[in-house]
Amino acid sequence: QPASADLGIDEEIKVVKKRRPIPKLDEERLLSDAGIPRLQRISKERLRFKGKGHEYGDIARMLNMYQLWLDDLYPRAKFADALTMIEALGHRKRIQISRKAWIDEGKPRPPVDSEDED
Amino acid sequence: HQTTLDEWAKDPVVDPEVRAHVYSLITALGGTGDDGTYALGDDALLCLKDLRRWLKFVDAKLNRHDVARSMAEANLVKGDLLEILAKVSEKLIHDKLKYKIALACLELLVHLTWPFEIDPDQATADHYRHGPYLQLAQIGYKRAILQFDRARILQTAVRIALPSMTVPLRERSPRDEGIIRIALYFIRNIAMLSPPNNVPTDIDEAEISRSTTIDTFHEQDIFQVLLTVASNIGEDFVEQDVAILEILFYLLKGVEVEKLFMTEKDLTSKNTDELKNLIQKEKSMLAGYARHAPTRHNRFGTMVWVKRDDDKVSTLSGQDFLGKTQRTMQKMDTTKKWNKPKWRGRKKDNDHERDEFDLPVALTSSARKHLTDFVEEFLDSSFNPLFMHLRKAIEREAERVETRHSRQYFYLVSWFLRAECARRRMIKERAADPRSAEVLTAEDESYGLVAEVMNQETFILLNRYMQRSQDEKAWQDLNAGMKCFTQILLTVQEMSESALEEDQEIAENIQNRIFYEESTHDRIVHILRDYKHQGFGYLDACTELSHVFLRMLERYAKQNVDLQVRSRRRARKIRKKQAQAQGVDDGGKAHVSETEDIAAAQRTTSERKFDFARFAAKFVNQSSVNTFISFLRYYRDLDTEQLKRAHRFFYRVTFKMELGVLLYRVDILQIFYKMIKGPEGLDSEAANFKEWEEFIRHFFRTVVKRVQDRPELIVEMLFSKIPATLFFLEHGYDRVMPTR
Repeated sequence: QPASADLGIDEEIKVVKKRRPIPKLDEERLLSDAGIPRLQRISKERLRFKGKGHEYGDIARMLNMYQLWLDDLYPRAKFADALTMIEALGHRKRIQISRKAWIDEGKPRPPVDSEDED
Repeated sequence: HQTTLDEWAKDPVVDPEVRAHVYSLITALGGTGDDGTYALGDDALLCLKDLRRWLKFVDAKLNRHDVARSMAEANLVKGDLLEILAKVSEKLIHDKLKYKIALACLELLVHLTWPFEIDPDQATADHYRHGPYLQLAQIGYKRAILQFDRARILQTAVRIALPSMTVPLRERSPRDEGIIRIALYFIRNIAMLSPPNNVPTDIDEAEISRSTTIDTFHEQDIFQVLLTVASNIGEDFVEQDVAILEILFYLLKGVEVEKLFMTEKDLTSKNTDELKNLIQKEKSMLAGYARHAPTRHNRFGTMVWVKRDDDKVSTLSGQDFLGKTQRTMQKMDTTKKWNKPKWRGRKKDNDHERDEFDLPVALTSSARKHLTDFVEEFLDSSFNPLFMHLRKAIEREAERVETRHSRQYFYLVSWFLRAECARRRMIKERAADPRSAEVLTAEDESYGLVAEVMNQETFILLNRYMQRSQDEKAWQDLNAGMKCFTQILLTVQEMSESALEEDQEIAENIQNRIFYEESTHDRIVHILRDYKHQGFGYLDACTELSHVFLRMLERYAKQNVDLQVRSRRRARKIRKKQAQAQGVDDGGKAHVSETEDIAAAQRTTSERKFDFARFAAKFVNQSSVNTFISFLRYYRDLDTEQLKRAHRFFYRVTFKMELGVLLYRVDILQIFYKMIKGPEGLDSEAANFKEWEEFIRHFFRTVVKRVQDRPELIVEMLFSKIPATLFFLEHGYDRVMPTR
């Protein structure tokens, strides 16, 4: 066809616009500074409980903390959706290893200690 | 209607030649005579046979629906067949020709009313083209048959089969069997046809509703026929069992058993209560909205900044959340536009199967009465023979038994067991009323009327069936199996409280067997754990089964020593009697001392307690929690009994098994919170609002305490727990493994 004759000069160059990739709520994001580390920080700094008689208020404050944290971490998703997505991430090997480590951090004494209480 | 050949030829929907042939046959069949009634054509019988042949050789052979469609367009059923049947029904038995004509009509009717199903493997474009039209036409047939005022069509069908039915089984020819089959399947088709939910109809639904069908069955003595065939099954009838099964299934599915056996007065008061509750529910719902509704007009234009950490602000418009932190948070959430894509299901086309029997059906009071009478008579005379016969046919995998029949069988077993229990309760109540003249019959009547489905053979079949449908992922089948098993457990429970010693004995034996059958335990736990997108009906069935099963085991394990000593004594007495009857000496086995009895009883109770604890532990885990949470997500639509079931489960998890950590998850906390505090929470006037409120408060308190003790829970609260860390999170120290 003529296309080969004129070296394809007349052929229109198609510019395919690449779609901007949609940010994902993945392991990277969850483990980044705005993710779990921030949650650990704000829970320590801001979460205060009133205790007995204020059960519902206490839990509401806690839920709000999670909601605002998730809104900062991944503004695109609604609270319930974001929770499901994170829960699903929790089944990944990498996250599971980190979870184990976070728990061990909090343990009163290192597991190397052979003298274990009953 | 198209009238000329030219018009037909232009219309491509149906082969014009086929249509022309069928129309000419229908015209030749007959029409309005000189006296204004229907007059048969000269060769009416031949025409009928020809029409039948057309159906057989064009539609069936070529896998098309042209002939059926032409017949629907030509109004064959209402205009001719029913008229002919009305005309000849009087002289049926005496006149050979009339009999043949009637039989030919019936044959056509059975074919035309045969439920239309599109089999995706065999369907051609033709099927999809004619499907909706034919489905609507069939609904029209049903209406015409039920509402026909000049003759009782269903009864006529039975009368056609009557000569063949009276022939003793051994002398019956294949032709006779065929005629009986045609009549029964005609009744089946009428019971089965229901308006398709994907095609709009312009027929008054009341004219073809279940109630109308039941009323017509009563009026035309069809119930008597069903009872006759069912009670003589195995003697005069053999092959007919599946047809009766199907008729019963389509008559009874979705009918609420408890309402059948209530007195008119109780039912009225129950209905009033239901209405009251609904109004109350609506009121509280509206109040819930009103509490948060804007107080000014919708263009008032309030705008709010929400101050957040790090000097950030979010803006929100509207006034419905002013001064309410929780509402503000909720508003921030709902204004987000993106939704996580939802799981939409693999196949859409078996939707009709999904709510096959999970949709409740309302009955008029006359239909209710007729159906109750029928069910009572059926239980008294036909239940045992029919269901035993069917069980054997299913076990043998007889040729006439198809896959759907097992499902229908188990569904009906559960339905009738429920009916029998409801009836006994009703009789008991009536007898307890001192003013009534009713004699106490419930007490001295045993559960013999349903004995055929309470035996070991049925349990084996049911177990196998449940296992197979679970393996094959046939969820609807499994649903029927679960319903059946649940009902058996409940019946056993009621039997063990019966006044008759024999019943108690049987109940105890059954419970004993179930208690020690590990494979049954595992199956039930697995079913509960493996729930995923099977629909609400299935979810309801599997949560109910585990609830009932666990309660039964618990009660059984808790049976006190006293009760067991008594049962031992009873068993010994019976054995002694048997020995005496047989004239054998039992070698002094019966003479065991009382103290030995007590010691043995104590041993078994402690063993059982241990066994029960072991099972209950298997039953509580992350997956079963997830299943119950999926169930609880429907909390606004659950009734009192279902809410109670969920409550008991979560109570067991947190306080009896001390595994509350399984519930430490943000989404679960959120549901719990929403249920009580709203918006769109549980109705605070509802019967079990209080116990939920209390449970959740209690649970929240433990959550707060735990989080303070172990801050690492804040992160873990996002995830399902890993078995390795579960114990630590619950107790705050690692489990010490026993060293060898």
